[in-house]
Amino acid sequence: MANNRPAKYDILFEPIKIGPKTMKNRFHQSPHCIGAGSDKPGFQAAHRAVKAEGGWGAVNTEYCSIHPESDDTMRVSARIWDAGDVHNLRAMTDAVHKFDCLAGIELWYGGAHAPNMETRQTPRGPSQFASEFETMTYCHEMDHADIKQVQQYYVDAALRARDAGFDMVNVYGGHAYGPLQWLNAYYNRRTDKYGGSVENRGRFWVETLEKVKNAVGDDCAIASRFAIDTLYGSSGVEVEEDGLKMIKMADDLVDVWDINVGDIAQWGEDAGPSRFYRQGHQLPWQKFVKQHSKKPVLGVGRFTDPEKMAEVIRNGELDIISCARPSISDPFMPQKIKEGRLDDIRTCIGCNVCISRWEIGGPPMICTQNATSGEEYRRSWHPEKFEKAKSKDTILVIGAGPAGSEAARVLMERGYVTHLVDSAEKVGGHLNDITTLPGLGEWGYHRDYREVQLEKLVKKNRDSQLALGAKRLTADAVLSYGADKVIIATGSSWSGTGVNALTHDPIPGVDARKPNHVTPEQIFAGDKKIGKRVVLLNADPYFMGPSLAEMLAAKGHDVTVIDGVGFGRYMHFTLEAPNMHRRLHELHIDVIGDSWVSKVEEGRVEYYNVWGEGSRREYRGPGVLPREENRSHKWVEYDTLVLVTGRQSDDSLFRDLKARKDEWAKNDIKGVYVIGDAWAPKILADSTFDGHRIAREIEDANPQLPLPYKREVSVWGTAYQPGGEHKQEWRI
Amino acid sequence: MKIMVAVKQVAFLDDEFEIRDDGRDVGEDFFEKDLNEFDHFSVEQAMLIKEAAGGDAEVVIVIVGDEDADDALRTALAKGADRGIRVWDDALAEADGIAVAKVLAKLVEREKPDMVFTGAQSADFGSAVTGMALAGFLGWPHAAVVSNLDYASGARTATLRRELEGGLEEIMTIRCPAVLSIQLGINQPRYASLRGIKQAKQKPVDELSLDDLGLSAAEVAPASRVRRMYAPERGKAELITGSAAEQAARLAEIIKELRGM
Repeated sequence: MANNRPAKYDILFEPIKIGPKTMKNRFHQSPHCIGAGSDKPGFQAAHRAVKAEGGWGAVNTEYCSIHPESDDTMRVSARIWDAGDVHNLRAMTDAVHKFDCLAGIELWYGGAHAPNMETRQTPRGPSQFASEFETMTYCHEMDHADIKQVQQYYVDAALRARDAGFDMVNVYGGHAYGPLQWLNAYYNRRTDKYGGSVENRGRFWVETLEKVKNAVGDDCAIASRFAIDTLYGSSGVEVEEDGLKMIKMADDLVDVWDINVGDIAQWGEDAGPSRFYRQGHQLPWQKFVKQHSKKPVLGVGRFTDPEKMAEVIRNGELDIISCARPSISDPFMPQKIKEGRLDDIRTCIGCNVCISRWEIGGPPMICTQNATSGEEYRRSWHPEKFEKAKSKDTILVIGAGPAGSEAARVLMERGYVTHLVDSAEKVGGHLNDITTLPGLGEWGYHRDYREVQLEKLVKKNRDSQLALGAKRLTADAVLSYGADKVIIATGSSWSGTGVNALTHDPIPGVDARKPNHVTPEQIFAGDKKIGKRVVLLNADPYFMGPSLAEMLAAKGHDVTVIDGVGFGRYMHFTLEAPNMHRRLHELHIDVIGDSWVSKVEEGRVEYYNVWGEGSRREYRGPGVLPREENRSHKWVEYDTLVLVTGRQSDDSLFRDLKARKDEWAKNDIKGVYVIGDAWAPKILADSTFDGHRIAREIEDANPQLPLPYKREVSVWGTAYQPGGEHKQEWRI
Repeated sequence: MKIMVAVKQVAFLDDEFEIRDDGRDVGEDFFEKDLNEFDHFSVEQAMLIKEAAGGDAEVVIVIVGDEDADDALRTALAKGADRGIRVWDDALAEADGIAVAKVLAKLVEREKPDMVFTGAQSADFGSAVTGMALAGFLGWPHAAVVSNLDYASGARTATLRRELEGGLEEIMTIRCPAVLSIQLGINQPRYASLRGIKQAKQKPVDELSLDDLGLSAAEVAPASRVRRMYAPERGKAELITGSAAEQAARLAEIIKELRGM
């Protein structure tokens, strides 16, 4: 097939020299966390290498701690503290180098933002302050000897990085880390030669770069990530003030600038969720750097469209396109652009669920779009290559939502004859509603990718079928359908009676059959008139409550929220919370938190403070609460009551079929399985994973349950340090 | 009681395609083939009549086409039709609607159906001629572009609604047997089940030649001939991006190009 790549994208494939190294193209995988660090070398190596294979010119580790004094536990960073870490990270550089790709490392010293909960060391900083991010942590103010010592940590780490095979070392001054704390007068209150003027505040950074360059500059490209504007006006670093001055001061010392904006406490201004930011949202700040630097400049901005990428380079705003999230969503994006296969790109939806896992601290990264992300090593899943079907079984998938469409896609990639059936006219299931919520339009890329791929695959896979707008299948219809295996992906619904995570019961008086009680689905259907005064009952910790509140308030309704679980609590992890709270404030949405509902009457809700019971606990006999009764109840009036209380699986078809298991054999059915929300309501990423997972494992003994994966844990009997001792030793 | 449904395998162009060397058609490699969209509706209509009669009606799918066309035929059979007939002869390679209608007329004589459906037109050539030409050869009552049909298996008349120009519709009663060309939207076509697809592979399909039908190559010579197929030239547009200087440079380049400088 001829390459359909427009010539205007050629600029993305021009090599570029970075110090002693040359990047083969303009695709740079920005440092980003995955939950591997140096403790899970297989995960680390496989995840980065699959991107190298997919055409990225350079890939990076996540932030990599240079010394035990910078320990981010429970969050997972990489570490290059010692020879053990060099050994483990070598797995990554070796794997990446097989694909003519540069390997980069981001040298991280967190100062007060690193809580050091594992190492129990005391972090150092320019002045003593309590971190606004980790509010339990203070740093120790460095004297000049301390400065030399911490700078030597950078040098020693850079030397170890070189020995581990890294081509690029990045002195990390983004997200309010490392040298940025020195430049930023918000942290740096010194009066010696390291504080005061911008020259003085920039001195730590300049000296550190000099030392690192002297140590490894002949062998490695020197990069420096720099949050050129911390977005607090004159209370922080501003691009046209300290930002550009710093660029000029250090320009001779770097081989490439890595430019972003923001800090760590609100780093959603950098890793901007699609709810608030389009691709290239940092360019109004980033673009200054090229006008004042002689060095190549790279930067992130959730670039997903080659049109935009080429434009940014042509316009002289950046030289290299740096991507974290788009590289997770589609590790093969550069190759697909190179081959002109734009409609095969699995576009990042900007939901930030990847980031949420780092924010939670610990769990491996997941991706809503790319179910193979993080599963490369432990489940051996390649994002673009599939095991051929191991049987002639034909598969019926019922429900074309996130789980069902992914299952059908992967089954057909594997060559299984697959029928995907849905009563809706469109692939996507409930995502088709979600994408109408404020700011969530880009989430529709999840549906679009599958829709395009399914249409292609169904043409390639003889006898396969995409049956949209079909009649709802009954258990009888499924039994006689003629499929060997049946996958039920019928989704879930919001409770119409107020069943919720707090009481696990319906709320007395709630009934979505009433004209003025509405579930989210009923709002999307638009059949019920919404009154002026809306009370939204929220017991779901993610986006539905805040999104509906925003949508209704923007339409002129007076919205009051009664929340029992933390309104939009999970959105803190996806970095959507700060601007979501700003939106709620702008729209005068009244959130009554720490509260839940005791009963609903016509036009009014009775609610109570969830901490309203007595604090003293004592046994008072059976049937009696062992505390003082909660007497905090109040009333609030409503015209329309919105019910975001909880979801329940739409699993009746699955249960009907399970009940008729004795009829499976005579209908030649080998198995009936349930995935996604129909199994149990879950986030989109996990529904997609369910669909992907069952399609990869459909021929196994019981595809309902996942196969064990390859675990990476330390093995007893071996010391991590070469020449070390693993046995218990006492210092006595 | 028997309903004959004449179907066609149509071609869809890929995004990129090239015209054949002789300049009279698109190269074979640039097609995707499938059952004509209209035929999903005519087959469904036949199935609805069969089901309303408690299954007491035979639905026969007929197609004129080479081995490739078997796929379209089996697609129709997978929806529950009883059997198929495929007619092919190299002499039919350039058959137009009139030639195909002549073949279908012979099949009608052979099968003696009580009703014949065709699609209102084919999605690729869109001549909308085959059904009515067939009725002409047979001298049967006919109605084109039928959008609603009230007909019970074996009935002597059918009442139907058809679409006219300007949004008008007419309601007519027609004597049976008749030839009806079926419009999109008359029903909601079903999807085949996996069982249907598996069974379709086993269903009887008669493969007939022109000889079998007593037709000579000369009798099916097309009444028309494609002389040339081509993509008309289109106006060009280009989005000019970049800095003001770059945009000006590109604009100057285009002007020079157009003026042949």
